[in-house]
Amino acid sequence: MIKLNAFFKSFGPKKVLRGLNLETESGEIVTLVGNNGSGKTTLLRILTTLDVPDSYNIAEIDGFDLSTNREEVRSRIGYLSHNPPYYPELTGVENLKFWLDLNSIENSEEKARNLLAQVGLISFSDDLSGNYSRGMIQRLGFSMAISHSPTTLLLDEPFTGLDSEGTEIIEELLLKQKEDGCSIVIVSHDELSYSDRTIKLERGEIA
Amino acid sequence: MNTLIVLIRKELKVEFRSLQGIVSSALLSFMILMTFKFSMFLDSNFEGTGVLWSVILLTGLGLITHISTRESERGTFELLKLSSITRYQLFLGRMAGSLLLLWILSTIITILYVILFENQFGNNLSLAYLVVLVGCIGIAAVGTLAASTATPLHGGWMITSLFSIPILLFTVIEASLRATDALITNDSEFQLAFMLLILYNLAFVTGGAWLSELSE
Repeated sequence: MIKLNAFFKSFGPKKVLRGLNLETESGEIVTLVGNNGSGKTTLLRILTTLDVPDSYNIAEIDGFDLSTNREEVRSRIGYLSHNPPYYPELTGVENLKFWLDLNSIENSEEKARNLLAQVGLISFSDDLSGNYSRGMIQRLGFSMAISHSPTTLLLDEPFTGLDSEGTEIIEELLLKQKEDGCSIVIVSHDELSYSDRTIKLERGEIA
Repeated sequence: MNTLIVLIRKELKVEFRSLQGIVSSALLSFMILMTFKFSMFLDSNFEGTGVLWSVILLTGLGLITHISTRESERGTFELLKLSSITRYQLFLGRMAGSLLLLWILSTIITILYVILFENQFGNNLSLAYLVVLVGCIGIAAVGTLAASTATPLHGGWMITSLFSIPILLFTVIEASLRATDALITNDSEFQLAFMLLILYNLAFVTGGAWLSELSE
């Protein structure tokens, strides 16, 4: 669950987020729409603790403050960025296993293969990820985002580069995450039919 | 699994499957050593290990900056930051990964140095190699900290060197150089220089871990 109140962020003189208020419930899918530069990605990056807000009254994930409980926040968040990072020299399963090991998740190899099967990459799991297509990288990135059972999922244009089969798989997994009580924020240019709410950002404010 | 081992294994796999850092650094080291070798023909009384340490410092920092820049450009540094490990664990893991690669590089450099400049250390060669390995710890600590801070910036490659070289030159490199020089001349200064080197390493490793945690 995300709770933001009077949330501000600037880059130099440019105010990116202006007094934003946002609350998401457990098991809710919220779509964030808005023009380029409206602050969508910045908001997601701050929620992941990759960037720091300027000021706020409340900024919490599951009751943990974004600034003072960063490790707790990170362990609860699954993040898929617009360009999912990966190591091209490692295979798909090695990338995923590395991420699981880093987060101290047991039976990482088995879990990694299981996740790759869920996103339809099992037959490519031992191929170097450097040879993956854009859509396959997106699937790998999504499996990394959900691998540590996060309570909050932040997805920045998750359907970029995906074919219809890939889109279907990710949507199914999203709905499963929702059923499990995960609160999901999706940055998208299109409105999504299965979304509970759509919020439009305009110049850092909710329109 | 221990975070340090996880990060070290990843770093070794990435490097040995691409061979981008080690091979180019080793070739650069060879070329610098050969350049010195040609110039040394003019001075037959050449003695001392300044050449060895300047090559280790320059190519070693280059290797560490390469590792860090690669991580930064791919966005995988952010991936590491998103994991639930603490910042000091991340620093120590990245430093340990770089250190292992630096040890491989400095082993190659030491072998080349001994071949090209004859074995100046005599029976103290193993001790000299130990000093090289210990000296690399400080270089890895300062290099990793500087590279982590500088590589996301424009000109990060240069900033890393500009920041690291002065710090290392008057601490780790000076102590290492005194230690290896003392091995050539069988000077009693070796113990003092080696102790100083260990203290510098300790300060840089703990300082780096502390500053990383502070950056949170």
